[in-house]
Amino acid sequence: MVKSRLLSAANRLFRPKAETPQSGKPRQLESAGFGGRAADRKSAETAESAEISETAESAEISSTDQQAAPLAVDVRGVRFTYPGGDRQVLDGASLQLKAGSFTAVIGGNGSGKSTLCKLFNGLIPHYYSGDFEGEVWIEGRNAAVRSVAELSRQVGYVYQDFDNQLVRPTVLDEACFAPLNYGLKEYRSMGRQALEQCGLLHLQDRFIWELSGGQRHLLAIAGALSMQPAILVVDEPVSQLDPSHARQVYELLSRLHREQGITIVVIEHHAEFIADYCTEACLMDAGKMRWLLPVPQALNRLDELAALGIQPPEVTQAAARLNERLTESGSGLMAGVPDENDGNQATRLPITLEEAERCLSSLLAAAAAAPASAGLAPANPATTWQAFADSRPLNEGLVKADRTGSARSAPDLPTSTNPVEHLQSPDNTPPGPALLELSKISLSYGTQRNGRRTILDGISLSLHAGERVAVVGGNGAGKSSLLKAAAGIVRPDAGELFLQNGSASGVPLEQMSEQVGYVFQNPEDMFIDDCVSKEVSYALTRRKVPDAELRLHEMLQAFRLQELAERDARLLSGGQQRRCSLAIGAAMRPAVMLLDEPTANLDMATREDLLRTLQALSSHVSAVVVATHDMGLVREWASRVIVLNGGRIAADGPPEKVFADRELMARAGLTLTGLMELTDRLGFGERLARPTPVSLAAEMMRLINSGLTREKEEPRHADCPQMA
Amino acid sequence: MQIARRWLERLSLESFQTQLMGMVYGSGHAVLSRLDPRCMLIWYLFFAVAPWFISSLTVLAGMFLLLAVATVLSRAAPFILFILCLGLIGQVGWLFLLSLFFGGDAESALPLLKLTLKLSVVSLASITVFSGMDPERISDGLLALGMPAAFSFSLSYGYRILPVLLEEFRSVLLSYRLRGKAPAPGRFRYIRLAVYYLKLLVLSFYPLMLATAKRSRTTVEALEVRGFSYGMKNPASRRLKLEHLRTTWRDGVFLGGTAAYVSLLFWLG
Repeated sequence: MVKSRLLSAANRLFRPKAETPQSGKPRQLESAGFGGRAADRKSAETAESAEISETAESAEISSTDQQAAPLAVDVRGVRFTYPGGDRQVLDGASLQLKAGSFTAVIGGNGSGKSTLCKLFNGLIPHYYSGDFEGEVWIEGRNAAVRSVAELSRQVGYVYQDFDNQLVRPTVLDEACFAPLNYGLKEYRSMGRQALEQCGLLHLQDRFIWELSGGQRHLLAIAGALSMQPAILVVDEPVSQLDPSHARQVYELLSRLHREQGITIVVIEHHAEFIADYCTEACLMDAGKMRWLLPVPQALNRLDELAALGIQPPEVTQAAARLNERLTESGSGLMAGVPDENDGNQATRLPITLEEAERCLSSLLAAAAAAPASAGLAPANPATTWQAFADSRPLNEGLVKADRTGSARSAPDLPTSTNPVEHLQSPDNTPPGPALLELSKISLSYGTQRNGRRTILDGISLSLHAGERVAVVGGNGAGKSSLLKAAAGIVRPDAGELFLQNGSASGVPLEQMSEQVGYVFQNPEDMFIDDCVSKEVSYALTRRKVPDAELRLHEMLQAFRLQELAERDARLLSGGQQRRCSLAIGAAMRPAVMLLDEPTANLDMATREDLLRTLQALSSHVSAVVVATHDMGLVREWASRVIVLNGGRIAADGPPEKVFADRELMARAGLTLTGLMELTDRLGFGERLARPTPVSLAAEMMRLINSGLTREKEEPRHADCPQMA
Repeated sequence: MQIARRWLERLSLESFQTQLMGMVYGSGHAVLSRLDPRCMLIWYLFFAVAPWFISSLTVLAGMFLLLAVATVLSRAAPFILFILCLGLIGQVGWLFLLSLFFGGDAESALPLLKLTLKLSVVSLASITVFSGMDPERISDGLLALGMPAAFSFSLSYGYRILPVLLEEFRSVLLSYRLRGKAPAPGRFRYIRLAVYYLKLLVLSFYPLMLATAKRSRTTVEALEVRGFSYGMKNPASRRLKLEHLRTTWRDGVFLGGTAAYVSLLFWLG
């Protein structure tokens, strides 16, 4: 019985991921017949393995177009259904990528992004032999007559779950794996070269399980680079990494693109990274490609992106909001960034931090310095930026004036340079009794190479009812360990844990978890049964909760899992899995719930959804603690922030105060969101510690208006010199 | 009880994992790791099969001595030896008790001792080979001896994936504990606790298998993409993989010495 259940579950798991259809109106795109002469730059380098490709003869080379270099990727009207699938995952997809481009493939869940990229190395249709129609040309050669192994020499592929891609024990073995398989004599030097490109050469003798997550991702890229591919596909590099590692990966990709001319394709949800690094973006929707546009134009199609649940960069959103407000107030649109790709001198919204800074600051400067009649459009951003810089004192005056007023978003900061900054204001009403109290908790781990390492160093804190706490800190600051210690999963070396009814020492984990819930970073680690409803009710039935049936129903409803109740949780999408893991945790109604990185692995739309789910969670438990890298989440959700640095608490207080101390943020290795950075650079970071696109636009409007009011008085001063 | 509990706490899955990985891959300095894996495998094959056909106590005892020395040279982890002793004593001790129950006496211990010796020789030979050489060398040795590439690769991959599996096993076990109910204090608490934990250990394998099934989708695809199946059919790739294997005088001395010793034993027996 168990066996057959297991087998059927395993069968489902082995099947390719079934993707859910996405609504939306696909538009047929213009499909140009490109092609070109074969210029297989790999064939010269690896002549000794010519036996691979005897099938692909020059007769197969498309000769429709002789003039230009071949396109790196040319997909023409591909339709594809996975074997056993009931839906066309690709429905007439076409895509032409120029050699040397850096393209982001965007689109909602189930729009066929990964499937599209699996055309490039022939996994489709050679490995997944479903219903296939259409043509794929890679570097000017037809993929239909070339094997996966052969195509993979030109197309490197890094999976989203890159950990499962690493198959060898040591770093160097891993990097050499592909060249060794292809029987290339210089496999060692190829592997080393790839490691060097990824900055991992110093780790070549390490075992894979000794590496950090970020290093493993770089290694997966090195493994793909070892064959010196012309095209590199990276599936969602950001989703599994923390912000600093994600940026490191993009810096690497950008260097490979720049210095070696590798064509790079990333599947990506995070518009900030697309704006900073990619040159083109391709929007997939319901198995078709809607458009392929230069990134600035692509990210300016706000409505279209919003309809598909893709978040444009926050700075773009802020600029769009501001434009709305400006239009409302009748002062006309701000001068955007000149659009390089448009002959009509049209402008667009800024997409990167730098662009936004230039745009908004020149707008401020124009409002403050220009005569009222000149309108808001500055003539030259560079000179007006200078003007803005000169007008700083004025700005500060504005700030000061405001401080005497009522709308004060961030009171003065304590100037102490204590390592622990207690930012709680003294006049705060004392919170209720502590639900959970940590007293001088210390924790260290024994490592294979470096002896013992201290993770937590005398942490004391207490959690009270109604708090939404975010634990933040750089890599290795001890966030996860703090949560595990608080949940009683790891026993600290020193210090004590107190629950509501006394010390927690000696309390078995099973009993402790009734009061302190813990939700894993990876939801899949929590799944122990074969369907969602059983997962949620497991603890309830185990612990003989009287109204288990009712509570299960409540949980399924609160976390929107009713329709998924009978599905295997392992086969759900990332966001659904996350909701399920929260429901499992909340079902026991613990007083405190600890969540480790709840927004990891989520795309932006699902992340928004999670924020709502967290609100739902608050009605079932008294206090929620989240360990996270995601400053956006902290900004939007938390009521208290604990900053960890080197295993100690560096700050503890409400988010606006913690965020306002940018020096502390930098010291603790916290990455500001693009919007925070922008607010800082515009010079009102202190007043707007937790900016959102809306609040930033509002603040800008206020400044502009007050600038304009001031100007109404100013002409007299301006006239003075003339009069003299 | 306190001491036992503290000892049990130290015997966590985590320390087991560290020890195991240290043993498996940390054999670089062992004397035996310098030998050619092909020689080691042939040597192992002999000691894994021959004892079953030998009934002379002298020969078996002599073999046992040789393998005890070899085990020391291979720097096997203490806990593996501990498990081996536990297994042997448990198995044979149980049989001896049974024989006493059915009217046997001290006489019946002798054939059991023989069985013990046979089992120990085979076990020690396995421990010697598998802890004296790292999995990469064993896998290369198997490939060189004509095993299919898929088989030898699975062996090395199996070892590589061990830490991942153990990690996952730990989190599944933790999941069960966080949502389960431990036996309440009362009579036979420790026995009930032991039953509870053993049950969890067994239950944890099911989610582990399902998670592994899911993970292997990417792995199999990635192997394809990285030319693994192409390499299996490619003689050049096989040649390159085995290039580093060389037999030296050490291997000759090792095999010759063993052969001479074993012939001496047979002559004595």
